[in-house]
Amino acid sequence: MAVVAVVTFVAAYILIATERIPKMVTALAGAGIILAFGVASSHDAFYSHETGIDWDVIFLLLGMMIIVGILRQTGVFEYVAIWAAKRAKGSPFRVMVLLVLITAVASAMLDNVTTVLLIAPVTLLVCERLGVSPVPFLIAEVLSSNIGGAATLIGDPPNIIIASRSGLTFNDFLLHMTPIAALAIAVVVAMLPLLFRGSFEGDPDRVADVMALNEREAIKDWRLLIICGVVLAAVFIGFVGHAALHIEPSVVALLGAGLLVLLSRSKPGDFMPSVEWETLLFFAGLFVMIGALVNTGVISQIAEAAARATGGDALTATMLILFVSALLSGVVDNIPYTAAMSPIVLQLTQGIADPVHADALWWSLAIGADFGGNLTAIGASANVVILGIAMRSGSPISFWEFTRKGAIVTGVTILLAAPYLWLRYFVLAS
Amino acid sequence: MIPSRPSMRMRRSAFDAGCDAYAGGVHAEQMAEETPLVDLDSSALAAARLLAERRLPALVVTKADGSPHSILPASQVVRFLVPGYVQDDPSLARVMNESMADRAGEKLANKRVRDLLPHERRELAAVNYDDTIIEVAALMARLRCPLAAVMKDGKLIGVITASRLLELALQPS
Repeated sequence: MAVVAVVTFVAAYILIATERIPKMVTALAGAGIILAFGVASSHDAFYSHETGIDWDVIFLLLGMMIIVGILRQTGVFEYVAIWAAKRAKGSPFRVMVLLVLITAVASAMLDNVTTVLLIAPVTLLVCERLGVSPVPFLIAEVLSSNIGGAATLIGDPPNIIIASRSGLTFNDFLLHMTPIAALAIAVVVAMLPLLFRGSFEGDPDRVADVMALNEREAIKDWRLLIICGVVLAAVFIGFVGHAALHIEPSVVALLGAGLLVLLSRSKPGDFMPSVEWETLLFFAGLFVMIGALVNTGVISQIAEAAARATGGDALTATMLILFVSALLSGVVDNIPYTAAMSPIVLQLTQGIADPVHADALWWSLAIGADFGGNLTAIGASANVVILGIAMRSGSPISFWEFTRKGAIVTGVTILLAAPYLWLRYFVLAS
Repeated sequence: MIPSRPSMRMRRSAFDAGCDAYAGGVHAEQMAEETPLVDLDSSALAAARLLAERRLPALVVTKADGSPHSILPASQVVRFLVPGYVQDDPSLARVMNESMADRAGEKLANKRVRDLLPHERRELAAVNYDDTIIEVAALMARLRCPLAAVMKDGKLIGVITASRLLELALQPS
């Protein structure tokens, strides 16, 4: 049975990484094989939190997708982006800095793919007005979306998976991930002039073209915007107040989505297209395959081998997880990677007495998986989306052009994270 | 049972009557009209002006040998003029205050007709000279094309526009 579980998972992983078959199909087929061979029972798959579909993750994603689906109708992102471009008074560098910051903050609240889908069109508009190439702007934005998404529990799917496995809360992510994400963004902003040297020479006569844009016209429905703001604030309070309210983030997200649908009087056709059923089914299939590895003891064996390799030393394990996660996340999808690593890290943490040191392993997994997505053009879904948008707009970005910049940013941010983890969880904590 | 509305019943029977009047009667050859042609390397700006000045729904685009290559609907030219980022995010159309006409000439300058056509080549909306009005209508509906080229012995002999088809179909019998 362990052999079936391993072979199925490895084959599925390769197919997902090479994208020969749609990943939803691969994940569901893998789950089907697991169930058909009796490696897992239907109870294991559908009712077990440890070995089955993690419904908290699925419903948190579903709730947020519905909320975002309604929110994007307001035009608020376009408003903010154009407002920022006008505040920059047409300076290409200042425009890039502001758009990078907006993308990072938005990514902390929305998923990265949605963020880049929202920011890319307005970026193309502003760059056309300025008479500069949009390529550096699109690359900078997607790099910042992967970093910004690391800041909160809901900002990136790997964080959602880690939170569910580890029991870490929304507030834990705010306290532990937001500082390093903010620091990384600050460093990336400082690096922008070097990374994209020569990309900021716009035509000063075209400043008026940017200033002529009317950002207020971007808001389609002020009433809806206010309702969205109120509901989002309530959802945020629900996430932050988890310890007091004892309501899981998935429930908060679903309640927020339901409330927003009711108050906004949105029809299903307005927001259901934003629900990525393929992504949710991909997660479901993935969890069944990972659960089979847990059930058959494969994960335990890997965790024991990892513990032996690190000598049971938490610091060594933390650094190893950080660097290996960053490398692997850069070349394969960080979602199946995190889903596979989470039960291994869970077992490793159970062998560490100090809870602060144990948590460090989770934070290193989150940082490595999130920041590592910047390493290559295929390291994160948002990267692939941006390359597609750039191609369609007539400003293609090659794999190597992206990877050159991405590798530098990943290297710098991981090298920044390593001393952060060491100092915060091993030096200052003791 | 869905109750039928009088206006719907009238339109349906008018179309049916129109079609019935031509059953076994007029064929594509008799419905065809002349149309200006452009080839793949014609100026895009000139093609757009042709569509605008003559209020044409589409143009037939020919290959170098004169045989039809594709149909270029006026809507496709309009689509070319709308920036991709506005098509991805229609709300951006509202924030831009200049007239599209200010930029249309710039966008079409130095472009050829082949640049206006969609990247994936679509099936040519062509009918045979002896096709009936229903066959022509079915083709237009399937391809969502406002114009069909009429072919006889491999040569283009004219075109049928959607409005021409409706004119014939809705004529009182």
